[in-house]
Amino acid sequence: MVIATSVTATVADQIEERTEGGRRDKRRHEKQAQGRRSYRMFLCIVPFLVLVFLFSYFPLYGWIYALFDYKPALGLGGSEFVGLQWFELLVSSPTQLAQIGQVLLNTLAISFLGIATSVLPLAFAIFLNEVKTPWFRNAVQTLTTLPNFISWVLVYMIAFSLFSSSGLVNNVLADFGLITAPIKFLDSDQNVWITMTLWSIWKGLGWGAIIYLAAISGIDPALHESARMDGAGRFQTMWYITLPQLMPTYLVLLLLSVANLLNNGMEQYFVFQNAFNKESIQVLDLYVYNIGMTGNSLSMATAIGMLKSIISVVLLFTVNGIAKRVRGESIV
Amino acid sequence: MKLKRKIAAGVAALLTVGLLTSCTGGGDTDTNTEAIDSFPTKWEDEITIDVFDGLANYMGMQEGWFGKIVKDKFNMNLNIIAPNVAGGGDTLYNTRVSAGDLGDLIITDKGEKLDQLIEGGLVADSAAYYPAMENTGRFDAAVEKLNEEKDGTYAFPTSVSSLLPTEPSEGIDSTFGPFLRWDLYAELGYPEIDTLEDLLPILKQMQDLEPTAPNGQKVYALSLFKDWDGNFMNNAKQPITYYGYDEVQFALAKADGSDYEGILDDGGQYERVLNFFHEANELGLVDPESTTQNYDTLFSKMQNGQVLFTWWPWLGQSAYNTEENMAQGKGFMIAPLKDQEIFSYGAEAYGGKQVLAIGSQAEDPERIAAFIDWLYTAEGSLANSSQTMGAAGPQGLTWDMNSAGEPELTDFGKEVFLNGDATVPEEWGGGSYIDGVSTLNVSVVLPIETDPDTGFPYSYKLWDSYKELTANPLTDDWSAHMGGATTTMEYLENNDQLLVAPGASYTIPTDDSEIETLRNQVKAIIVQYSWQAVFAESDAKFDSLFAELQEKASGLGYDKVLEVDLATAKDQNKQREAVAEEFAE
Repeated sequence: MVIATSVTATVADQIEERTEGGRRDKRRHEKQAQGRRSYRMFLCIVPFLVLVFLFSYFPLYGWIYALFDYKPALGLGGSEFVGLQWFELLVSSPTQLAQIGQVLLNTLAISFLGIATSVLPLAFAIFLNEVKTPWFRNAVQTLTTLPNFISWVLVYMIAFSLFSSSGLVNNVLADFGLITAPIKFLDSDQNVWITMTLWSIWKGLGWGAIIYLAAISGIDPALHESARMDGAGRFQTMWYITLPQLMPTYLVLLLLSVANLLNNGMEQYFVFQNAFNKESIQVLDLYVYNIGMTGNSLSMATAIGMLKSIISVVLLFTVNGIAKRVRGESIV
Repeated sequence: MKLKRKIAAGVAALLTVGLLTSCTGGGDTDTNTEAIDSFPTKWEDEITIDVFDGLANYMGMQEGWFGKIVKDKFNMNLNIIAPNVAGGGDTLYNTRVSAGDLGDLIITDKGEKLDQLIEGGLVADSAAYYPAMENTGRFDAAVEKLNEEKDGTYAFPTSVSSLLPTEPSEGIDSTFGPFLRWDLYAELGYPEIDTLEDLLPILKQMQDLEPTAPNGQKVYALSLFKDWDGNFMNNAKQPITYYGYDEVQFALAKADGSDYEGILDDGGQYERVLNFFHEANELGLVDPESTTQNYDTLFSKMQNGQVLFTWWPWLGQSAYNTEENMAQGKGFMIAPLKDQEIFSYGAEAYGGKQVLAIGSQAEDPERIAAFIDWLYTAEGSLANSSQTMGAAGPQGLTWDMNSAGEPELTDFGKEVFLNGDATVPEEWGGGSYIDGVSTLNVSVVLPIETDPDTGFPYSYKLWDSYKELTANPLTDDWSAHMGGATTTMEYLENNDQLLVAPGASYTIPTDDSEIETLRNQVKAIIVQYSWQAVFAESDAKFDSLFAELQEKASGLGYDKVLEVDLATAKDQNKQREAVAEEFAE
C-alpha cells in the first residue's frame, strides 16, 4: 500500500510537474518571443546609439590632449604628459583671466543679442503671410532665404566691397562731399556686437521664418474666419489668432537657442576679425580656434574647449533648476 | 551566430589596426637601404610628387618652362602644397602632419620643426642616396653640419654658397633699406636725410608732388600689409634694420652683438618705428587700405605707381622699375639716411633656415633625391632661383655666352627681365615666363655664387653686360648723386653703412611648451595693438595704446619669453663670432 500510494503520489507529482512545466515552458516561450521582439527593437535604435556615441561621447576622448603637450608630428604617444599645466596657465595671471572674461562677455553678449532678435523672423513670417499677392510673397521669401546659403566668406566679400575704406559706401559718401576721410566700418571696435548681429539677421531672417510660415499654414482657418466674423480686423487677427498659435513653436526654438548660448560658431567672426575689432569680436569658438590653430597651441585650446563644456553643463543645470521651480517639471 | 561573432571580431580588429596606424603617423618605409653611388639617367614611369613648401606662394601643379625642365629630366610633376596660400598659421601643416604624410618633398624650417618631423618618422633617411648626390656633395660641410647629431642624412641645406660668412649674401641691393621714388626725390632737390624721422616731411612733399597715379588712384607714401605678421607687426620691423638690428623672436639684436633690446622696450626701436608710422598716418601718408589689404594688392599698387616708399628693393624695384619707367628716370632707388647702418645677412656658412627633405611616405625617394641634387647644379640653380631679382634662368632661353666669352641676356631675356614678362617659345614649354618660374620659392644655391661652368655669378644683375645694358637715366642720375657707386651694395660698403652679421646658420632652439604657448598669446596681442597704435587717432591715444600693450603683454608672460629670446640672441652672437673666426683662418 505504502508502495502504491507512493507510486500514485509520484505519478501525480509527475503529472503536476508536467503541467507546471508546461506553464513554465509557455511562459519561457512568451518571454523569449518578447525578448526577441525587444532585441529587434533594440537593434533599430542601435545605429542611433552608435551615432550618439561616435559624435557625442567618443570625442570626449580628445580631452586627453589637454593633459599633454601635444605635437602633431610626434603624435600623442610621443608628446609629453604635462598634467594640469594648461589649466594652471589659464588661471595663472590676471591678464589671462581678463582675456577669458572678455571672450565670455563677447560670447554671451552676441548670443543674447541673437536671442533678443529672434522675434524678428517670427514677425517677418506673420507679416509676410498677410501679403496676398502670391508672386510677390514668393519673390520676397526667395530673396530673403537666399543669403542663408551664402558662405560667410562670401558675405565678408560683399561686406568688404561695400564697407571697406575704398568700398562703395565710402566712395559714394566721399563723392557727395559728406566725408573727407573714409569711415572705418570694418576695422573699428565700435558697435561690433551690433553689426555682427545685423549681419546674422541679414543672413538668417528668411531661413528662420520658414518654420513659422509652416506653423502658420497649420493654423485652423476656422479660427481666422470666426474672428473675422466677429469683426476682427487684419491686425487683430494677427495679434489674437496667429501670434498665440505660433507661441509654442517660438518657445521651443527659444529654448533651443538658449541651449546653444555658448555655441555661436566661429566662421562669421573668423572672417570679420582683424586687429582693430579682435577685442570685441573674439567669441569662445573663435578664441579656441585662434589659440589652437593660429597660435599652434592645440593642448591649450583643448583645455579652453573643456572650459566651454563645463560652463555649458553649469548653465544647463541652472536652467533646469529654474524650470523645476517655475513649472514644477524639469528636463533632466 | 559563430559566423557573426567572427565577422564582428574581424571588424573590431580592422578598426583597431586602423586606429593604431592612424595614430602612429609615419613608419619605416625604407625599402631601399642599399647605398647607391649614381642615379639612373632615365626614369621610366611618370610620377607626380607632393611638395610641401613652407615658402611657396603658389599652390597647384608647377607649370610652364620650369615644370617642363623637371618633367623632361625626371619624368616628374611637382604638385606644390603651400600653407601660405591655404590660409595663415600652421593649420595645413598640422593637419598633414597628423595624417602622417606631409609630402614627398618637404621644404621646411630646420630646428624644432625638422627635429619633430624626424622624431615623428615623417622624414626619410636619405643616407643611402647621399653618395650619389655629387652636386650636393660640393657643400658637404653644410650637409654634415645640418645633420649633426642625427643618425642619418635627413635634410639638405638651402642658400648655400662658397662665400665667406663675413661677406654679405646680397649681390647688388641690400635686403633692407629706405628705397623711394627717386624721380620725385630728385624733383625736391635731393634733400639730405639725417635720420628716419626726417623722411616724413620729404615723403609728404613727394606725395604732394604726385597726388594721383596714372591710373587715377590716390598716391600714398606708405602702404602696409598684414600677411607676414608673426611675432610682431612685420612692416614695423623693417625700418629697425636700418640701424643694424634684426629680430630674434621678441628680442632685437644688433648685427655686431653690441646691443640687445626687447621689442616692447620703452623708447626702443620698435616703438620708434610704430611712432614713425603713426606720425606718417597723421600726416595722411599711410594708405587707409593698409589695414585690410594683402601683399598682392600692395604689389599691384606698387606696379601702378600708387606707393612712394618701400623698405625692400625687391618689392619696389621689381614692381615699378620697368625699362619704360627707368628710361623716363622713374623708379625706386635707395635714398640713404645719414645715420643708417643697414643690417646685412652674411653668407650662411652652413646654409639658411630652410631645408629640403624627403618625406617618409614618398613612393620614389630615389628620384626625389636626384631632383634635390639637381637643384645644386649650375643648371638647377640658374633655373630654380630665376624669380625676380634672382638667377638668370635657363641657358639658351634667357641668356647665352657671347662672342667675348661672357654671359649676356638674349632678346627674350631682356624682354623678361627688363620689361617684366614674355611668352616662352613652344620648345621650352610655352606660356608666360613669369607664370612658369619655379614656385619652390627657395634659393638652394645663392644667386651670387659663381657658376663653375662659366666663371660668372648665377645672378645676371652682376654681369657687366647687364650693367651696360641697363644704364639708364634713373641709374645714371642715382649714381651721379651717390659718389659714382653703381650698386646699392657698393654705395653702402664705400660709406661704411652696412653691418654684416656673420652667417652662422644658427638654429633657434626649441621652446619648451609653456614658453611656446605664452609666446603665441603675446604675439597675438603685440600684432593687434601695434596696428591699433599706428592708426590711433591722436598721439595721446598712441601712447596709451602702447602702454596698454606693454601691460597686457607682460600680464601674458612677455618678460618670461623675452628672457629666453635674449639668451638665444646672445647665443647666436657667440656662434657668429665663432664662425667668423673659423673662416678667418
